[in-house]
Amino acid sequence: MSLGVVRSQAIGTSIERRGTRARLRGDTHFAADLNIAGVVTAVVLRSDRPHALIREFDPAAAKSTPGYLGVFTWRDIPGRNRFGIINKDQELLVERKVRCVGDPVALVVAETEEAAQRALSKIRVVYEDLPAVFDPEEALTDAAPRIHEKGNLLGRRVVRRGSPEEALKHSDVVVERTYTTSFVEHAYLEPDAGLAYIDHNDILVVHASTQNPHYDQKDVADLLGLPEDRVRIIQEATGGGFGSKLDLNVQGFVGLAAFLVQRPVRMVYSREEAFLATAKRHPLKIRYKSGANRDGRLTAVDVTIIGDTGAYASYGLAVTSRAAVHATGPYEVPNVSVEAIFAYTNNPMAGAMRGFGVPQMAFAHESQMDLLAAELGLSPLEIRRRNALRIGSQTATGQYLTASVGIGATLDAVASRWEEARVEKQSTRAFVRRGVGIASMIYGIGNTGMQNPSTAQVELGRDGFVTLYSGAADIGQGSSTVLVQIAAEALGLKPDAIRSVIADTAHTTSAGATSASRQTYISGNAVLDAATKLHNVILTEAAMMLKADRGDLELRDGSVFLRSDPGKGVSFKDIAERASRTGLPLKWQGYFDPDTTPLDPETGQGRPYATYAFATHVAEVEVDSLSGEVRVLKVTAAHDVGRAINPLNVQGQIYSGVAMGLGLALMEEFHPGVTESLKDYHIATAADMPAVIPIIVEDPEPTGPFGAKGVGEPALIPTAPAIANAVADALSARVYNLPMNLERVLKAGISVRSAEKEKSCQGY
Amino acid sequence: MKRIIQLTVNGERAEVAVEPNRTLLQVLREDLGLTGTKHGCGLGDCGACTVILDGRPVNSCLVLAVQANGSDVLTIEGLAENGKLHPLQRAFVEKGAIQCGFCSPGMILSAKALLDENPKPTEKEIRMAISGNLCRCTGYQKIVEAIQAVASGEIMQGGDS
Repeated sequence: MSLGVVRSQAIGTSIERRGTRARLRGDTHFAADLNIAGVVTAVVLRSDRPHALIREFDPAAAKSTPGYLGVFTWRDIPGRNRFGIINKDQELLVERKVRCVGDPVALVVAETEEAAQRALSKIRVVYEDLPAVFDPEEALTDAAPRIHEKGNLLGRRVVRRGSPEEALKHSDVVVERTYTTSFVEHAYLEPDAGLAYIDHNDILVVHASTQNPHYDQKDVADLLGLPEDRVRIIQEATGGGFGSKLDLNVQGFVGLAAFLVQRPVRMVYSREEAFLATAKRHPLKIRYKSGANRDGRLTAVDVTIIGDTGAYASYGLAVTSRAAVHATGPYEVPNVSVEAIFAYTNNPMAGAMRGFGVPQMAFAHESQMDLLAAELGLSPLEIRRRNALRIGSQTATGQYLTASVGIGATLDAVASRWEEARVEKQSTRAFVRRGVGIASMIYGIGNTGMQNPSTAQVELGRDGFVTLYSGAADIGQGSSTVLVQIAAEALGLKPDAIRSVIADTAHTTSAGATSASRQTYISGNAVLDAATKLHNVILTEAAMMLKADRGDLELRDGSVFLRSDPGKGVSFKDIAERASRTGLPLKWQGYFDPDTTPLDPETGQGRPYATYAFATHVAEVEVDSLSGEVRVLKVTAAHDVGRAINPLNVQGQIYSGVAMGLGLALMEEFHPGVTESLKDYHIATAADMPAVIPIIVEDPEPTGPFGAKGVGEPALIPTAPAIANAVADALSARVYNLPMNLERVLKAGISVRSAEKEKSCQGY
Repeated sequence: MKRIIQLTVNGERAEVAVEPNRTLLQVLREDLGLTGTKHGCGLGDCGACTVILDGRPVNSCLVLAVQANGSDVLTIEGLAENGKLHPLQRAFVEKGAIQCGFCSPGMILSAKALLDENPKPTEKEIRMAISGNLCRCTGYQKIVEAIQAVASGEIMQGGDS
């Protein structure tokens, strides 16, 4: 950016995260911590059947419960009983039939949580069970029970380029395997919570744990039949989201209850309810065929992806598209055939989860790369280098990459550790095998082939202070801090000098969802646009006040100085006062929408994203071939983030992603109808974590704010495939299903074990 | 049937009438308004509700309020002294050991209990001591580094607020 500012050095600096001290003192209010006079509690009666008609609903017995305030069904919903971020296929309270265990049947409101639960237990529901289907392929057959009126097909995405059939026929080597992944629970530490009331202006105010307040506002208003400006959503401190808090979870319920009982209403999910009623990661079945020639170059891939979106779409269509578009990984593949088909089933709803299907796809394409490397006698690092995208490459969707293609740089960054680890890997214990694995990824920043703009405002107040207004929900990843750093850099201020107003629909405009690793790049650009406009106005005013040439001015620490006469200057406060007298606006709006095109529905060709992040991880593991236990010893993780606005935040995302990736690889599996809570769903603890070496690679993105792209989801994506490849290296046998639990690893290792036994017997 | 219990919470005496099935966590959050202690699961799986009870870290969701009668309780709100952050709180700030912050109060109290008993723990001892405190955001590395920074004396008593 050629802004006339002295570098405030706000960019590339690990400044303290906003709000950290209050959180560490225990002073920050999360939604469940809010209290308000006269608040009552709402709870949801949920279905215990996967697919059933509601034949009878009798709440009479509940009404005598002390503290009872009301039982409400779909008939009490004043607006349109449909919601959903992409497909409006969810009912806030089901009308006729339940489509999965956990479907909401009735809303119970009472003076206290205990009273509400007691009243709920007295409601009588008679169901008529319907045949149910839990497998997406079965769901697409003619004989399958129909879950939604439109049928069980959620959507399909095809990506086609070149002549894959022909190319595979003539390839020197072809490898075909099938991979599966399971339902995964987000397991954010803060269960969903919200509190709603009607304020003195007759506006319904909802305080909630959320990733997308402006979407919440629209759907809550629709459900209640209110104009949007009668609903205000305030994002409270949010204890993690990872995609699941993109859906409307408690917001609609507390909004409806407050509207109906005209009292403030609170709802806090128990951990069991958060497990039961919120979205999961889509389990995918991926049939993957890839070809390569003796020179080690990929010739073609042919991929079929089957996805299970459960009973509702949520972000299912986004996952369908993203999985298909990312199927080829960060490689040049001239001939491509990808078909992704997602179906409804009576399983729990699957939606957005950190990576939108790409972590699952990376497990497949990275396993394939190692299999091809073995066939070709190449090292896994070498085959990746030979095929890595570079400037001038075309992606599977035909997009030419023109800048910031850091995949090669991430491979280079981990190369020395890769080589060392391969030398060091000899194990010293019998039956314990060491392995080293490498895996890479590409991730498109922002939504796939569609508009996903962000807006922001930057205002110079009469007191001379600058305030940033952004609708971007900070769910712990640190966007509020990064956006302030960007504004600070553009205005020559220290970040501390900027106030911020974040994620309150009454005071901010939409920044779009906190998803798709998009807030640094997209909202960062919107903030930069707003700050640049304000910067220009400040310069113009200062030039007039100082009777100086604009080119001779610089902004520094809240004043404008003359470069030629640094003693002479004018403060932001003086400028603001003058502007207020002359009526010059000092609150400016910024806007950014990445340059994308929709994908062709037949061929999937187009420009789905304006920029891509790249990464490579190397995992070192120890596998006990007797027990199936895998211990991850070290993960070296190199990420091309364009530019690290806040390096400590970027590192934090990498550590975080590796932890979640380790869970995806080894232990996390949600069994519908079985898994209930953190008791039977294990995520990585401090004791499970390996040494993690984050490496930040900066290949600046010309369209990014100060060169930045994104890292939130990329951080997770290569970990599981790197571990899978390391386990395969250790065992000389591969696991094709995630998670690689003890049983699966043991099974894969049996051949190895018998071979070793034979060897040790020969020793006698 | 309610029963009166007496607690010393963060150095202050408190008297609360509680039902026999009420947990210490509920008393802290709902009766005393100390919402810094978080409810993450109610089953003792996540550690977000960790407080120090008579010098030992406990999951306050698993302690009945009546069991805590006569006890001394330290919650996150009681850790800063005279407005100054506790060294562990400062270390969490400086090392970037916090993302969403929901696990942080429990995590810090587990760390404090460890350092009170074992001022120079090894990395492994630190990891074991906080293994009952789940964190989904940080990957734990910075948390471990923050605790190490206090144990090594890199971050000491005093300093800023």
